[in-house]
Amino acid sequence: MIRKELISKSPLRILEKSIHGGVGKGCIGVIAARKGVGKTACLVHIATDRLFLGKHVIHVSFGEDASHIVRWYEDIFNEIARRNNLNCAMDVHDDIIRNRVIVNFKQDDTHIAKIKKNFSMFLEKGNFCVDTIVVDGYNFAKATPEDFQEFKRFALETGLEMWFSASLKEKDVPSDAHGIPKLLLPFINDIAILINLEPKGDFVHLTLIKDHDTIPNSDMHVKLDPHILLLAEET
Amino acid sequence: MATDALKMRNIGISAHIDSGKTTLTERILYYCNKIHAIHEVKGKDGVGATMDFMELERERGITIVSAATNVEWNKHSINIIDTPGHVDFTIEVERALRVLDGAVLVLCAVGGVQSQSITVDRQLRRYEVPCLAFINKCDRTGANPLRVKAELCSKLGHNAVLMQLPVGLEDKHEGLIDLITMKALYFDGPNGDDLRIEEIPAGLLEQAKNAHVELIDAASMFSDELAEAYLEGKETTEQIYAAIRKGTLSRQMTPVFMGTAYKNKGIQPLLDAVISYLPSPYEVENVALDIDNDQQEVKLIPDINKPTVAIGFKLEEGQYGQLTYIRIYQGSIKKGDELTNTRSRKHFKVGRLIRMHANNMEDIDYAPCGDIVALFGVDCASGDTFTQSGLNYTMTSMFVPEPVISLAITPKDKKSSEAMSKALNRFSKEDPTFRTFVDPESKQTIVRGMGELHLDIYIERMRREYDVELDVGMPQVAYREAISQSVKFDYTHKKQSGGAGQYGRVAGTMEPNPESNYEFIDSIKGGAIPREFITSCDKGFKACLARGSVIGFPIVGIKITIDDGNSHPVDSSDMAFQLAAIGAFRQAYDKAKPEILEPIMKVEVEGPCDFQGNVLSSINQRRGIIISTSEDDLFARVEAEVPLSEMFGYSTILRSLTQGKAQFTMEFARYGKVPAAISEKLIKDFQEKNRKRN
Repeated sequence: MIRKELISKSPLRILEKSIHGGVGKGCIGVIAARKGVGKTACLVHIATDRLFLGKHVIHVSFGEDASHIVRWYEDIFNEIARRNNLNCAMDVHDDIIRNRVIVNFKQDDTHIAKIKKNFSMFLEKGNFCVDTIVVDGYNFAKATPEDFQEFKRFALETGLEMWFSASLKEKDVPSDAHGIPKLLLPFINDIAILINLEPKGDFVHLTLIKDHDTIPNSDMHVKLDPHILLLAEET
Repeated sequence: MATDALKMRNIGISAHIDSGKTTLTERILYYCNKIHAIHEVKGKDGVGATMDFMELERERGITIVSAATNVEWNKHSINIIDTPGHVDFTIEVERALRVLDGAVLVLCAVGGVQSQSITVDRQLRRYEVPCLAFINKCDRTGANPLRVKAELCSKLGHNAVLMQLPVGLEDKHEGLIDLITMKALYFDGPNGDDLRIEEIPAGLLEQAKNAHVELIDAASMFSDELAEAYLEGKETTEQIYAAIRKGTLSRQMTPVFMGTAYKNKGIQPLLDAVISYLPSPYEVENVALDIDNDQQEVKLIPDINKPTVAIGFKLEEGQYGQLTYIRIYQGSIKKGDELTNTRSRKHFKVGRLIRMHANNMEDIDYAPCGDIVALFGVDCASGDTFTQSGLNYTMTSMFVPEPVISLAITPKDKKSSEAMSKALNRFSKEDPTFRTFVDPESKQTIVRGMGELHLDIYIERMRREYDVELDVGMPQVAYREAISQSVKFDYTHKKQSGGAGQYGRVAGTMEPNPESNYEFIDSIKGGAIPREFITSCDKGFKACLARGSVIGFPIVGIKITIDDGNSHPVDSSDMAFQLAAIGAFRQAYDKAKPEILEPIMKVEVEGPCDFQGNVLSSINQRRGIIISTSEDDLFARVEAEVPLSEMFGYSTILRSLTQGKAQFTMEFARYGKVPAAISEKLIKDFQEKNRKRN
């Protein structure tokens, strides 16, 4: 399979269709789930899809060392390449890693100002254009709505799309009538897309809780296969 | 001197550059009464650390060659190999690890697990060396040994368990808490000689109790006896020591110690730990290959009454001739014994047997199995095996990485020319990653090595030690050529006009093969090429790999399948098929779209956060790909992949960009494609060179 074909057949196209074309420039998407359900796999698959499309991605992680995230990308890329029998996989790999940077902060409560400073440094000194920023492991429990608004403002100013993961604890899971987890209620106005991951049987199902201005709470017809850590179309 | 093998330890001290391992070794020598004053690596007294005995090392404050030394601690004999920290000298670390039974992994309390700690850890794994961790520099600003311990678990996958806790950190670092005896240790006196044992300070008691429980929990995994005793509240310190020892020897646990070598804190407990937890030569299984028996593995028995088996792991050319460091695995060596070098089958008599102490030596008459000693005047190469009583064993070969950089060197006069060949002969014997050859085209002497610094040091040594006047060319990267698409070939070599004729036809496919450098597949059916000429074809193809037609560098990653051919009953010969294969290769190679590959290095730069922007742009300017950046409060670490050709002189540039506050390490990662613009330039240069020659 060639790269173009792989992009068009990606299950991410179905996900995009469900959310009216994607998160969109200047907007923030959040993937929420309990620990260990597959948020990082989801984010890395989304980011890898952007990379296949020739977009530039910054992946922000907290706490864990960056090599751990690099391994995630390698695993997901190899799995996609293997399953789709991708032509010239090594060349595609070398081509797309140029457009990806992993930025790791040791503390999960690193202040937004510091994170923003880091992004600006990449844009200016690193001579790196960015289309998507993926923020994995952001501590919503410690963050204030003002902090999050700063991210939203940054996304708007720079015209970037941003994806976050939100780790839910037992107490956050009971959500309001629309299915919005308690933890994310203070931030919901600045979240354009909210997707909930929930294990059901052998797979993890994706439910669209918020889609820009609507609250559909509907099945996205995409599932995450925990064995291969890839998103797939629901059959 | 204690010589009972049970009371012997052979240990290495491995670490990232500048983690302070030479300083640590210096303190060990001092506490074991081998030296009577402490000299710092970059000390003001100008003496330099004892283990850094080469003039050049003292000047640069780095350790270039590993020096072996023997010390005695608590009636145990410890052989220590001080290993170099720079990646360019990794072969030294590898060789040291090959002969060691245990290691102390030194980590910086500020820098934590750095890129070379990962390399060193990989080496420890390869040779299955049990280790202890020592977190040094607890007195430095930003020191956080608990974070480093966590990194040992998360980054290196160790089951790291704290054996101590610090009493204060940074400039308030006073001492340590021993989590087994639950006492506080203070190191008094100007050189920390007087160990004062006190009760744990009240403010730290709670933390110490929790850490003690964690320690017992971890240790109980290796001893049911301890687990049961603990449940009953009757555990003894002996049971805890035994359980930790068991965990460490099986490499399932890494006990973590800490302190500051520079301020003389924490060294004596570390030495106790080396005795308590690292193995004696009796506890390590070593194997040799029996050449007479199809290289079958044979277990070596650490028994002095068995025939001797030893390995020469390091050579040094000294004032009085060649010194060979050996590790004895089986039997013993006495002065006057006759040994055989199994590689050269040469017999020799042991003249002088030496125990090394940095650059001082002590003559001894006898060394038992397990020991590390040195022989004088033995003609051998690094890695040779020495045996006795007709044993034809060889120790498994050591892993030697391929050099990635080369330099042309030209002596300025005849005197220098002679001295240079003497020096090169010695260096290449001592260091298998340092290679030398004469380029048949330019007639220049080429030296090859693992990095700019690696070659730099040897050139400097030639100047200083051999008085060689040299002109040094620009560093040259070891490029490779590889094809990018499959093509079919069908070539007939035919010379049948007068005299003995030559005839051979080969046909098949040439394909890219990233998995291996060269693969030859014989798919001939029905004897189209007679069996005896298949190897001739293989030989012919192989001969073409040495020099590609694009820029004259070796060809890698190629698979040749032959599936058809023809022969002549009289005119076909080995030579005819070799020439047919060469012709076929040439026919196919250019059509297979050959590309130039260049060595890509994994570069890691560490320094204060403020300079991260400068570092990023410097990597960008060098065609680098930034893989990741990582930062905490003070320090940032940038990991990137950068072509080696762009890294020349980077240390100077980095220094000026960061006011000397950042450092970098680099090691070979992979071969990558050269971008079109650079590729064109390389091709143009190559064609220009060819034209001049013709």
